[in-house]
Amino acid sequence: MVKTYSGGGASFRLCIKRLDIARGDRLAFIGESGSGKSTLLEILALLLRPDSCEQFSFYPQQGGPMHDLAAEWQLNHTDAFTEWRGRHVGYIMQTGGLLPYLTIQENIELPLRLLQLPLADTAQQWASKLAISAQLGKLPAMLSVGQRQRAEVARALAHRPAILIADEPTSAVDPINAGRMVELLCSLSDEFKVTLLLATHAQRLAQQFGFNMIEHRISAADETSHEVSIDRGAGP
Amino acid sequence: MKVAGFDIPAVQRRLLVQLAARDFRHEWLMSSCFVLALSAALVPLLVLFGLKYGIINNLLDPIREDPRYREIIPSGSGNFTPDWFEQMAERPDVAFIIPKTRSIAATIKTRLTDSDAGRIIDTELIPTGTGDPLFGHNVTIPQGLEELILSANAASKLGASVGTRLDGILTRQLNDEQQTVIHGMTVTGIAAAGAFNRDGMFVSIDFLTAVEDFRDGRAVQAFSADGAMRPDASRDFAGFRLYARDIADVAELSSELLSQQIDVRTKAADIELVKSLDRNLSIVYWIIAIIVIGGFCLSFGTSLWANVNRKAREFSLLRLIGFRAQGIVWFPLIQALLTGALGWLLACTIYFLIQLSLNSLFLDNLGAGQAVCKLHAGHLLLALLLTLLAAMLAATVGGVRVARMELSSGLKSA
Repeated sequence: MVKTYSGGGASFRLCIKRLDIARGDRLAFIGESGSGKSTLLEILALLLRPDSCEQFSFYPQQGGPMHDLAAEWQLNHTDAFTEWRGRHVGYIMQTGGLLPYLTIQENIELPLRLLQLPLADTAQQWASKLAISAQLGKLPAMLSVGQRQRAEVARALAHRPAILIADEPTSAVDPINAGRMVELLCSLSDEFKVTLLLATHAQRLAQQFGFNMIEHRISAADETSHEVSIDRGAGP
Repeated sequence: MKVAGFDIPAVQRRLLVQLAARDFRHEWLMSSCFVLALSAALVPLLVLFGLKYGIINNLLDPIREDPRYREIIPSGSGNFTPDWFEQMAERPDVAFIIPKTRSIAATIKTRLTDSDAGRIIDTELIPTGTGDPLFGHNVTIPQGLEELILSANAASKLGASVGTRLDGILTRQLNDEQQTVIHGMTVTGIAAAGAFNRDGMFVSIDFLTAVEDFRDGRAVQAFSADGAMRPDASRDFAGFRLYARDIADVAELSSELLSQQIDVRTKAADIELVKSLDRNLSIVYWIIAIIVIGGFCLSFGTSLWANVNRKAREFSLLRLIGFRAQGIVWFPLIQALLTGALGWLLACTIYFLIQLSLNSLFLDNLGAGQAVCKLHAGHLLLALLLTLLAAMLAATVGGVRVARMELSSGLKSA
């Protein structure tokens, strides 16, 4: 799979030769800014279309049928991507992952409503787990950055996705809260058997919580052409 | 055939309507600005149209309500057969038609019964019958040979009212002998002052033909008058009283009669004058309206475009959660519809206040039931439809922007 950016006389190429991710994996993509971490996560979340893709297979259930996403890309089935993403992916951004006009409870419940899943007391349970019960009736603007991030985690996990993708979730908070956030994501991914993919600069934090790490190492063919190549098989 | 924006699951449609409404309410300050801007464009248009409609109606209402504007009067005498009257009566543009006898034979002297010393006046005989537009439902139309409706002038001169008994006095010269008939009749109604300006008497066509026969020296049993018997051949008439169904029918009906070589007089020129004024004012109004609506669409469209750019992240977030891109196109459209509906509601409220003020200001110059500025519910509903259409047209600009927005870059926008 290849994705290329060019502009201002420079070009960047992200080349994924092989990347196997097993159910329940805890992967951290580390590397400096501009090394294609977010690009890779966006491609995996089907937010971004690669320039070329030979194979992209997804098994939503253990032993179940395979989704040939490369073929879907060829056919440009954007509705299928949207549905796939909505059902199987929880995505956490650095900031601003909540709709400002809905309360925290409504934000958490929105993916459930969209998938027509029972609401029951899901929002309350997540709020209790993430210590934001008192904030359920409030709008996001009334919450602190940390509370908003926890609410966003609840929103991303409420519909029980198979994959949780977090794009630099610690970049907007102080080191203490960054540690708490990564710890929270790890405990939740363990509890709910969710595959956790994290893009971060915080290599030490990722090591501390036992992430398998994939380093985005930039190689320069010349001053204006840079490439990151990833080749990670399932291993022995 | 798939239509963009409609090919989305029902649950997404329902949620998008709710979310658009919530966002509209959440951003109440921005929404209020849009609503006010729309009202500011709509109020002058409503007031201008209300003035045009009110003024033109003040001119048109008397014309529409006065049946004399729908009357088609033959210029001279003719020879009209019963078949011709039947054919004319069947036309959809004819409201009322009745034959008239020769004018020279259609007069009668009249006085109050039992009042030998009372005043005798010469009255013209005018045929009438059921459906005569000169009379309302509260006036009893004369039947047979002994009932009549008096013109206001004649009633005043005779001092007659409904129920008064009158003597009709007819004279003729037959075989060098002066014959006089005194025929008793009852007044069933008094015509409105404008219906007939001279001394006149509305009677049945049977009475008129009896009078004509009497004057022609024929035997008339009802008047106990001897004379020559009328041949059995059907009777032709010298004229007619004809009213078109609507003022709009007058011109065509008179053209039809002219094509039959029947010269007629109408008030078509008066009607055309007001209608042409209406047409010209409408042209001016719609030129102004199109400029204002065009300006509004442009201004609202660009505002929505900017608003959509501002909310790029929120729209992208919806797509990230699982809403389809073509469904999110409806987001600005729904908000535009809300703006349109609320703007229209506010504009109508302001318009009614202005209408009330204007009509109070010109109260002294207006007749009963008249208004210098007025609009019907139909006009306001049409304004609502046009407003929603213009708002949606403007919102498509924002919708196109949403549809083309790249999800990845949208999520990164501030």
